[in-house]
Amino acid sequence: MHYIYSLLVLIGIYVTLSASFNLIIGNGGLISIAHPIFFALGAYTAALFAINFGVPVLFSIAAGMIVALGSSFALSLPALRISGDYLLIASIGFQLGLVQIIKNLDFTGGAGGLGNIPSVLSGETRDIAFAVGSLGMALVVVLIIRSIIRSPYGSAITAMRDDELAFVSLGRNAMAIKLVIFAIGSGFAGLAGGVYAYYYLYLSPDQFEILQSATILTMVVVGGMGSTLGPVVGGILLLALPQAITFLQLPPSIMGPLQGMIFTLLVLVFLFVRPQGLISTKRLHR
Amino acid sequence: MNDFSIIIQILWTGTAMSTFYVLFTVAFALPLKIAQLWNFAQAGFMGIAFYTMYVAFDRLYLPVWAGLGCGLVATIAFTVLMERYGLQTLRTRHASILHFFIFTLVLSEFVAYLLMLLFGTEPVTLFPSVLSPVHIVANIVVSDWDLIALSTTALLLLALLGFLRFHRDGQFLMAVADNGPLAELYGISAKRAYLVTMTIASVFVCVGMYLFGTRAGIIPTTPLELMLVAVIATLLGGIGRIFSAALAAVVISLVQSFSVLIIASAWQNLVLYGFLFFTILIFPRGFRIPRRIKVAPRPAAGDV
Repeated sequence: MHYIYSLLVLIGIYVTLSASFNLIIGNGGLISIAHPIFFALGAYTAALFAINFGVPVLFSIAAGMIVALGSSFALSLPALRISGDYLLIASIGFQLGLVQIIKNLDFTGGAGGLGNIPSVLSGETRDIAFAVGSLGMALVVVLIIRSIIRSPYGSAITAMRDDELAFVSLGRNAMAIKLVIFAIGSGFAGLAGGVYAYYYLYLSPDQFEILQSATILTMVVVGGMGSTLGPVVGGILLLALPQAITFLQLPPSIMGPLQGMIFTLLVLVFLFVRPQGLISTKRLHR
Repeated sequence: MNDFSIIIQILWTGTAMSTFYVLFTVAFALPLKIAQLWNFAQAGFMGIAFYTMYVAFDRLYLPVWAGLGCGLVATIAFTVLMERYGLQTLRTRHASILHFFIFTLVLSEFVAYLLMLLFGTEPVTLFPSVLSPVHIVANIVVSDWDLIALSTTALLLLALLGFLRFHRDGQFLMAVADNGPLAELYGISAKRAYLVTMTIASVFVCVGMYLFGTRAGIIPTTPLELMLVAVIATLLGGIGRIFSAALAAVVISLVQSFSVLIIASAWQNLVLYGFLFFTILIFPRGFRIPRRIKVAPRPAAGDV
C-alpha cells in the first residue's frame, strides 16, 4: 500500500505543478522553463524553516509558496519588460544560476543535499495523510486556476495571449497580467515543493535540474495546453505510464534517462500529431 | 610572474578559451538572423557532435581528421533532418513561436537524455589527456591548443564572412534574412537558405565541440549550459549582428576569466548568469556604440 500512497502523493504534486505551469504557458502564452526552480525554492524554504526554526508544517509550506511567488518577480520583471521571448532566455539563466547557488551554499546542504527535515506523523497514517493532502492540494489549485480562467480576468488573459497588440491598444495592461499569471503559477509550484520536502524528507539540487522542465512540459502538452483538465489528465497519465517500466527492474542509471526520453519523445510526437493535446480547449468550450 | 604578467596571461588564456564560445555563438546567431529561429536545439547538435567524436577517438581510435569528419557528418545529418522534418513542417503549418520554442528545446532535452542513457553522467573528454605542449613567450604561457583554437576560429570566421559577402549562396542567405517573401519572389529558395544556414551552424558547432572537448570534460547536460553563453552573447551583440555577437562572446569569456581574481572558482559560473540579467536589463537590444550623426550645414537663406 505504501507504493500506492506514494504514487498518489506524486500525482497530487505533479498535477499541481503541471496545472500551474499550464496557467503560465498554456493560458498566458509565456514560455519559461524555470518551473523546477520555483518548485525547488518552495521545497528548500519549507525544509529550512522546519529544520532551523521549527516552524509548523502549514506555515513553512506557506513560506515556501510565498518565497517562490516573490522570487518569480526577479525573473519576470526584467524579462517581460522587453518581450515574452526574453522570458525563456532569462528563465534558462535563472534556473541554471539558482541551482548553482543551491549547490554551493552550506546551509542548503550543497551538492550533497539537505536531510534532517523533521517528519510529521509516521506509519500508514503518514502515507494516508500525505496522499489526501497532496490530492486535496491539487484539487484546490486546479479549481482556483479554473475559476481564474472562467472569470472576466481569465477572458482578459486569453485576449492578451491571442492578440497582445490589440489588447494593449484597448488600453489594457498586458505586463501586469503577465506578472500576475507568472507569480501565481510560480507560487503554486512552491506550494508543491513544500509538500514534496515534507513527504520525502530529503532534498537534492539534482531533483530540480533544468531537465525536470521536460517532465512538466510533457504533462501540459500531452494533456492539452490551455485547457484546465488537460494537465490533470497529462499528469496522471504520465505518472502512471513510467510505473510500467519500473516493473522491468532496470537500474536507476538507465531508468532515469529512459523515462526522460519517453517524456520528451511524447512531447515531440504530440507537437506534430496532435498539437492540441488529449483534451483540446476548443472541444471543452463547445 | 609579476602582476602585469598575470593579467596578460589571463588575457591570453581568456581569449583562447573564448574561441569555442565564439563558434557556438556564431552557430546560434546565424539561424536567428537568417531564419528568425531561436535554435535551442543547438544544445542537441553540440551533444551529438561531441559524443560522435568521443566514440570515434576513444572507442574506434580513429585519427583526428576522421573523428572530426564523423562528428561533422553526424551533426549535419541531425540538423538537416531536424530542419527538413521538424522546422519545415512547423513553418508549413504556420505554427506559433511557442511551438518552435518547445520543439527546439525539447529536442535538446531528448538528445541529452539519449546521451545520458548511452554514455552515463560521468564527465568525459575527447582524448585521455587534455594537456597540450606549452611554450613560454615573453613570460606568458602559450599552449599549442591556444594557437590551434585561435587560428581555426579566425579561419572559420573569415570563411563565413567571405561566404556571406562573395558567394552566391551566402548572398541568398542575406536576402532571405532581409526579406524572405521578397527573396522568394526573385526565385531564391528560402528552404534551401535555411538548410545551408543549419549546415554552416553544424560545422561551427562541431569544430567548437572539438576544441572544447580537447580542453575540458563534458556530461550530457553541459551543452545546455554552453549554449547559454551563445544566447547571452547573441543578445549582447545585438540580434542579427553575427560578428558583433562573436565579439561579445570574447568579452564574456574574458570577464569570466578575470573574475577568478575576485571570486572563488566555485562561483565563477554565476558571472555568466549575472551577465544574462545585466544584458537583459541594460542592453536588451544589444550593445551599440552610439554613432556621431553628421549634421549637414543649413543652407543660408540667400542660397535658396
